[in-house]
Amino acid sequence: MHLRTSGISDIGLQREGNEDSLLVEDSLGLYIVADGMGGHLAGEVASKVAVEMINKSYRKWLMSETPEDELFGYPDRSLSRPGNYILSSIRLANRVIYEMAVVYDQYHGMGTTVSIVLVTSGLVVAANVGDSRIYMVRDGRLERLSKDHTIVSEQVEMGVMSAEEAAVSPLKHILTRNLGSAENVDAEIFEIEPSNKDRLILCSDGLTDLVSDEEILAVTKKAEDPENLCQKFVQLARSRGAHDNTTVVSVFLDDMGKRRGSPIKKIGMLFADLVISLQKFTKKSGK
Amino acid sequence: MATLILMFNKQVIKEYPLLKDSVSIGRQHDNTVVIDNLAVSGYHARIDMAGSAYILTDLQSTNGTFVNDEKIVSQKLAHGDNIAIGKHVLLFLATEKVKETGKKASLNKTMVLDTMKQRKLLAKQQTAPSTPTAPEKVGVVSFIDGSDLGEIELNKKLTKIGKADSSEIKLAGMLMGATAATISRRPSGYVISFAGGMTKLKVNGQIVKESAPLHDFDTIELGSYRFQFYQKEKEVPGS
Repeated sequence: MHLRTSGISDIGLQREGNEDSLLVEDSLGLYIVADGMGGHLAGEVASKVAVEMINKSYRKWLMSETPEDELFGYPDRSLSRPGNYILSSIRLANRVIYEMAVVYDQYHGMGTTVSIVLVTSGLVVAANVGDSRIYMVRDGRLERLSKDHTIVSEQVEMGVMSAEEAAVSPLKHILTRNLGSAENVDAEIFEIEPSNKDRLILCSDGLTDLVSDEEILAVTKKAEDPENLCQKFVQLARSRGAHDNTTVVSVFLDDMGKRRGSPIKKIGMLFADLVISLQKFTKKSGK
Repeated sequence: MATLILMFNKQVIKEYPLLKDSVSIGRQHDNTVVIDNLAVSGYHARIDMAGSAYILTDLQSTNGTFVNDEKIVSQKLAHGDNIAIGKHVLLFLATEKVKETGKKASLNKTMVLDTMKQRKLLAKQQTAPSTPTAPEKVGVVSFIDGSDLGEIELNKKLTKIGKADSSEIKLAGMLMGATAATISRRPSGYVISFAGGMTKLKVNGQIVKESAPLHDFDTIELGSYRFQFYQKEKEVPGS
């Protein structure tokens, strides 16, 4: 498996500070984008704490091979163990930000979105809370691996509102979930098997407010490397006014080596299978 | 001009542009904002325009008026304030013409709808809203090839199908891959992907080399195995 990765966070043209944070941690295959909210630097603090907490807790649990029942909160039995590590690390980050917001006046009301991708051999975990998105380009098609937790996207899902109405609704920036506003949080989490030439993109709403899904697909298909892709997205947001911070992390997968193997390997495997089944047969008949 | 957005259970019911100098909220039909619910008093609260500001006043209602979880008597409203009345929420949005917010970018600021605290408050008042949610569905594969595998619920986010012992659905066969195919549950629904081995993966007779979305009653073939995919309502324990 070969990964090429890159991440950029751009302040944009209208904001005075950058409340977004990102993580590109190739040694773990862990990638995060977080978009903080809350005045007087609180937004910056929230997004940084989220990224740090998730990075540290995931690393710790992975290294010590912590059993799923000893994580933070009940494990989700529909997930793999790495999936549960990610889920628990989100819960833990949420609790820390929530407690900080309750205890310290200067952090009152702070919160953050988070979108996370974990890439290991044989498994990709995608998780999110809020409206920072995760896209995957595979086979020339764009697919979202995240769900927006906004009033409008929930209404689109319920069929009450069309996607076109949602894009211009005054409610589109109102989140129904984030890290920090409640004691507990439900994260969206998905697991898929990686495939050769997968392109994964994590981004804050600074990008998706100004650039459509179709454009994201077109730009990704043309990009040669992840640095180039991140820069193109930031330039595109800037050319359209960049009213918000724009953060993009891109992960390019290569040589995932689907176990199709070479013909010779296949024949070898076939032969091995044959030998094993013959052995079983002779054992049985020998009794 | 400011706007009030009436919501119930996170769902927008109606938008009210604040066109008049005074807006009344209550259960009686001559209010500007009518909320037909017993938790709401006949004339519950009102909003008055004072210069460029909007002042919310509780009209000594039975169950009270809350702004961002604080019970209020009278309060100046700020952009993004959550006004809770009974089980309903009115979201106050000041638009760009209001000088107070300064920059016109105010609507681009991200905010959080604090439903959790609102639910807690309502629970205290013993008028906790019931949250009617659509029954959750789960994918199922049903074998129709004469094997005795029957029906298997896809209760993992990623279901591996193949010869390996770690597979959620274990299939035999000399040409079967250790992991021959996977079914993953994604935001768009269930997707089947070819993973490896020498058995061909077919969905409704079409060979799948990468991935294909699954729809109810699609027929999947993997070597000599045949099974159908469909979604059923998840059984909720205790109901």
